[in-house]
Amino acid sequence: MPTPNRLPLLVVLNTWKALFLREVVARISTERAAWLWILFEPLSHVGFILILYSTIRVRTIGGIDTIIWIMAGMLPFFTFRRTAVQCMNAINANRALFAYRQVKPIDTVFVRAGTELFLMILVSIILFSLVALFGHDVVPANPLGVLVAFFGLWLLGLGFGLTMSIVVELVPEMERVVGAIMYPLYLLSGVMLPIASIPQELREWLLFNPIVHGLEDVRLSFAPFYHAVPELDLAYLFEAALILIFLGLALQLRFADRMVME
Amino acid sequence: MIVLNDVHKRYRTHHGPGKWVLNGVSFSIPSKLNVGLVGRNGAGKSTLLRLIGGIDVPSSGTIERHSRVSWPMGFSGGLQGSLTGRQNAKFVCRIHGHDHDLVERIAYIQDFAEIGAAFDEPIKTYSSGMKSRLQFAMSLAFNFDVYISDEITSTGDAAFREKAAKAFEHLIGKAGLIMVSHSDSTLRQFCKAGIWLHQGKAIWFDDIEDALRNYNESIVA
Repeated sequence: MPTPNRLPLLVVLNTWKALFLREVVARISTERAAWLWILFEPLSHVGFILILYSTIRVRTIGGIDTIIWIMAGMLPFFTFRRTAVQCMNAINANRALFAYRQVKPIDTVFVRAGTELFLMILVSIILFSLVALFGHDVVPANPLGVLVAFFGLWLLGLGFGLTMSIVVELVPEMERVVGAIMYPLYLLSGVMLPIASIPQELREWLLFNPIVHGLEDVRLSFAPFYHAVPELDLAYLFEAALILIFLGLALQLRFADRMVME
Repeated sequence: MIVLNDVHKRYRTHHGPGKWVLNGVSFSIPSKLNVGLVGRNGAGKSTLLRLIGGIDVPSSGTIERHSRVSWPMGFSGGLQGSLTGRQNAKFVCRIHGHDHDLVERIAYIQDFAEIGAAFDEPIKTYSSGMKSRLQFAMSLAFNFDVYISDEITSTGDAAFREKAAKAFEHLIGKAGLIMVSHSDSTLRQFCKAGIWLHQGKAIWFDDIEDALRNYNESIVA
């Protein structure tokens, strides 16, 4: 008597759960004190810039506390970048798992995006709590606004990862190109330097980068009196994210078979 | 029941599409029948197992699986080197929807694999025989209707081969088996019917002896 098959949706959910647990375990157990390094990367960046700014005695940027300004830019930016890069490498890193037909390439991309969101929310909560202990005001004026912009940046990372995970399989050289783009992106997105202070002719070009809009909106939601860039448009971030997600899904669908071939 | 209908398969190479590995393969395997797959190296045996296992897709043609089919046991794919045997076993239980009885399944796998304390060591420290033991134990932990075996028994030691043989014998009549082996005696021991893969075609024999005889004659000739 053949056993009845599970519903396809149930298979997907079971697979996502298994992949998620595996991903998290691999992240925190394969290195010594790996969980410490997850916290260390953003912490070291925030610390470095903080030292830089306090040396030149900058107490506030655009009207808000420097440390809040840095963290409200840094953590969402890292969420974007880590989601983008982890998703981009998801298919290649999980190739061994395609030996089980339940695991499809796109599953690994979604699960990695979920894992990064989960980890970055934890990291953000821990770091902001730490800063609160030092007496800084970490409670945002508009918490929902912070979450929406943060989520938008994560979606952008997911869209980028969905698209690039296929592209790097078809054109492996693209992985280096993306690596080369990510470093200037750090500066061009206004993580370290306030975009509002850049002359308008140049700023117009920088504003084509959807990450700028996301980061500025996170900061504006923290403090409504923050001097954000006047051209701020959160819808632009979501449009860019949705376009990338649809492009990525289309590529995943088109090249799904080729991804599992050896 | 597994039905293959006019299955073609070729791989992409660096200089365009490669030659046809499978060129119009059609057959159906009734449930609970043990089938041995024979053919030269490169005849497409592993490719055919991957297609039946649903890991790869045919270039054209259709494959229907009306039953629960295992993943191809034997090649070390599907194990993540940095994770332990236990963590890998948990993963496989979860993707097969066995969250609720995870503990019993893991206990069964650990017991059957007999790799001792290595069960909690990373897979990359395993020998190929230990990997086979773990793979084999994992696939037996689920009640598949059809098991696919790609030379699973060839890497283990004598004790493991005997254990695997016992397990396979135990399955006869309960589940089907599709196996690739280069050992005639293994095939005779477990299989009733045979498929001979030759020049991209599959030839079905109701008796494994006929398949082996045709295959062996083709090598000599």
